[in-house]
Amino acid sequence: MRICVLIKQLPDTGSALKIRADELWVDEDNLVFSANESDSYALEEALLMKEAQGGEVVVVSLGPERVGQVLKDALAKGADRAIHLHDPAWEVLDSLGLARIMAAVLKEEQCDLIFTGLQSDDTGDGQLGPMLAELLDMPHVTLVVETELSDGRIKVKQELEGGWFQYVTAQLPVLLTIQSGINKPRYASLRGIMAMKHKEIKAVGAGDLDLPADQWVAGRTLQRLYVPEKTKETVFLEGSPQEVGAALVDHLVNTAKVF
Amino acid sequence: MLAELATPDGGHTLPIPGLFYAFAFLAIFYFFYNFRRALASRIGRPESRPFRWRSLLPNALYYGVAQRKVTSRRFGYASLTHLFLAWGFMELFFATSVVFLVERDLLTAWLPVKDTPWFAALNELGGLALLLGAAMALVRRHTSLRPDVLPQNSFGGRGSLLGDSGILWVLVLLAVGGFLTEAARLVIEAPASASASFVAYALTGALTAAGWSAVQPWLWWSHAALALTLIALLPQTKLFHSLLAIANAGLTDTRELAQLRPMHIAEMLADPDADPDALVLGAGKVDDFTWKQLLDAQTCTECGRCTEVCPAHAAGLPLSPMKIMQDMRRQLYDQVDGTGDGAALIGPHGISPEELWACTTCRACTDACPVLIDHIPAIIDMRRFLVLSEGKPPEDAAGSLEKTVQQGNPWGFPKEERTQWAADAGLEVPLMKDRESVEVLYWVGCAGAYDPRNQSVTRAMIAIFEAAGVDYAILGREERCTGDAARRMGEENVYETLAHENIATLDKYRFERIVTACPHCFQTLGRDYAQLGGRYEVLHHAEFLQQLMDAGRLPQGALEAGQVTFHDPCYLGRHSGQYDAPRDVIARSVTSGTPLEMAQAREESFCCGAGGGNMWYEVKGTERINLLRFDQALETGADTVATACSFCLIMMDDARKVRGMEETVAVKDIAELVAEGLAG
Repeated sequence: MRICVLIKQLPDTGSALKIRADELWVDEDNLVFSANESDSYALEEALLMKEAQGGEVVVVSLGPERVGQVLKDALAKGADRAIHLHDPAWEVLDSLGLARIMAAVLKEEQCDLIFTGLQSDDTGDGQLGPMLAELLDMPHVTLVVETELSDGRIKVKQELEGGWFQYVTAQLPVLLTIQSGINKPRYASLRGIMAMKHKEIKAVGAGDLDLPADQWVAGRTLQRLYVPEKTKETVFLEGSPQEVGAALVDHLVNTAKVF
Repeated sequence: MLAELATPDGGHTLPIPGLFYAFAFLAIFYFFYNFRRALASRIGRPESRPFRWRSLLPNALYYGVAQRKVTSRRFGYASLTHLFLAWGFMELFFATSVVFLVERDLLTAWLPVKDTPWFAALNELGGLALLLGAAMALVRRHTSLRPDVLPQNSFGGRGSLLGDSGILWVLVLLAVGGFLTEAARLVIEAPASASASFVAYALTGALTAAGWSAVQPWLWWSHAALALTLIALLPQTKLFHSLLAIANAGLTDTRELAQLRPMHIAEMLADPDADPDALVLGAGKVDDFTWKQLLDAQTCTECGRCTEVCPAHAAGLPLSPMKIMQDMRRQLYDQVDGTGDGAALIGPHGISPEELWACTTCRACTDACPVLIDHIPAIIDMRRFLVLSEGKPPEDAAGSLEKTVQQGNPWGFPKEERTQWAADAGLEVPLMKDRESVEVLYWVGCAGAYDPRNQSVTRAMIAIFEAAGVDYAILGREERCTGDAARRMGEENVYETLAHENIATLDKYRFERIVTACPHCFQTLGRDYAQLGGRYEVLHHAEFLQQLMDAGRLPQGALEAGQVTFHDPCYLGRHSGQYDAPRDVIARSVTSGTPLEMAQAREESFCCGAGGGNMWYEVKGTERINLLRFDQALETGADTVATACSFCLIMMDDARKVRGMEETVAVKDIAELVAEGLAG
């Protein structure tokens, strides 16, 4: 069984972000990068499945040199090999362009399962998974919080709105987008780091793919990136404790809509 | 067989039967045959610590024979008991050897002749001491005096013959038998100095001369048989510790106690032929320890002192340093003897990960151990196995370790904001990169840079530097976590990465010394980095402030802080031996003078609970270590709890909030006391 996991590298959530002068992206100098959170859970789910069922885990990421680090981390945690998609022509992509590139690569891999995080923590589109599944002509399930594999079929628990869940069964091959919290991502041991050095990271550029250049031209362009202005409003509730309590509940339910 | 000789005073000497020599030879042979057990530890790995011939004999004599560390104020009754037992035992061993030689007419020029009064009296004292010691020990074991942690016949693989109390009864029999045999001899041989053997002499009236003559052979043979049997079986009994302790003390370099052995992971990673599956990373099996660590475990006498002083144990966390040693030893003997059920060293039937993670590396156990066992490196070696080999740090700590690599601080705050504390306070702090050379490189540390409570300590230090006119600078954003917590959590790879980066940064600059307010940074910069080639003169701020005061560069005694008590940080006190400097600084900073002492202070100080990486994860106990300690501080009635460590400050401050004492008790770093005195 082959499980392919797509991982995106992005600025670490602890980083102090600065908007670039052209207001089209953040200034990446001196930034610390790490793997997208839900992608880490996707990788762990793949590794757990491999440990239980046997098979191979292939990790794939697209981006500049620095992206090699998330692939190395994944290999150190137990992935078997990695594919690094890297080409100057792919600097600015939208979800569809990215999905077409991924599809061109993964078609050859013949994966039984493809895992991605449910969305990236930078742009938060959540589109790559479903688009890629369509391009590869396979079913997909989003927002997966539990998986159970048996006899070429997979049963997954999918998170719905309002605290609801549903169970979905699908025939392999299938693509799943994984929700954070589905498992506990492991820590890379030194033994794993040493084993990683003997594993393959295959570099793939635009020239290596059977994909016309117009396929990844972005159909969507970013106009301006900015930090929204913070607003804060303090409301003092007055009256007896009962009145204040009632007013607070009313505010939380009807104005702040926390429930 | 010796001829019977008439003595001048009319009695006759008793011959030593020839059969005795045959038995004695067999006993000694069997003793040495049994003694091979001492060599079990050779299955361990070679010792990476350099062997120190110079300290072999002094340490064997001082800590082994003279038992310097057995004597302890805290364990007064047990110390006295052991004093009587051990010295009584040694005196009688010495006396028996002398008598043996004298009877053979050997070395007579050097030895007291037979029936020398003072020698006879000395031997009586030896017998009395043994008897008294054994009686005290039996009382302690079988009354309410018995400490909860003291094991009774839970052998953990050590020599188990006769158990803990059985061996004491054997010593009682040996002493009583000795007195009776001597009494019989006094009656039969009738030496002029008989009354010098005062105990035996007092017993002579119990029987008639004929009666003594009748029982003499029985007394003599039973006493001889018991003594020879004890010699033969000594390595199988608890008394084996007496020999192992002497050997272990001689083989211990006391300067290296509690220091972790370097792993040189950078070299492992650089080696293209390294087989990741074959590398020994930490200790997951008993033969992954060095032979010295295994000898430590063998030497453990199960006195329980380590566990009694352990703060984790006191707070109900699942740690007993003694059990760690017992488990290691059981595994060792199981492997050497081919017994045991093959259960893993770390696992449900051995040492649990929770036990290992509960250790704060406070060093109380090591300092309390009478036989120089080095607990902390053994515990950290097992943590290294869990982290480096198995990839299993404590769940809460994994993120912190990853953040430490990414952002250079265990909180994971942005590395760009490492000097934000200065900007927020409107301070212009000199940076090393702008300076040719300085007198003092001030190491701010992650807590000093990011933790709001400790930022105040950093600002206090800056105010002090300015007031005293110190030529100083900081590294600013070039500074990264020293890796103390990572190292103590067993993450030697992360530690080494940080250490090599910091060493490279420090080596770019010229400075006379490093000063830091964090005892953990003090330990890593001052001692750990030397293992990787980074050698610097490092001063903890307690000593540095004391020096400034000595030089008259700071005003003194100005601050009204009420009564002050001082909490000794483990890495400043026990690990570095600095107890006086912080107290001196306090005494000269506040109007109330010399600080009040808590029930456990100085060498006996009780940890705050955050050391050894425990700042970054939590092992659940029945109580919290920092609350236990804060309550001790409250008992002094002090208005201010002073300390000199970033983590202690956080833990004491947290305890103060939990106890609802924010209005009544202040928690301060000593630098804050000095700086506040400047302002006033």
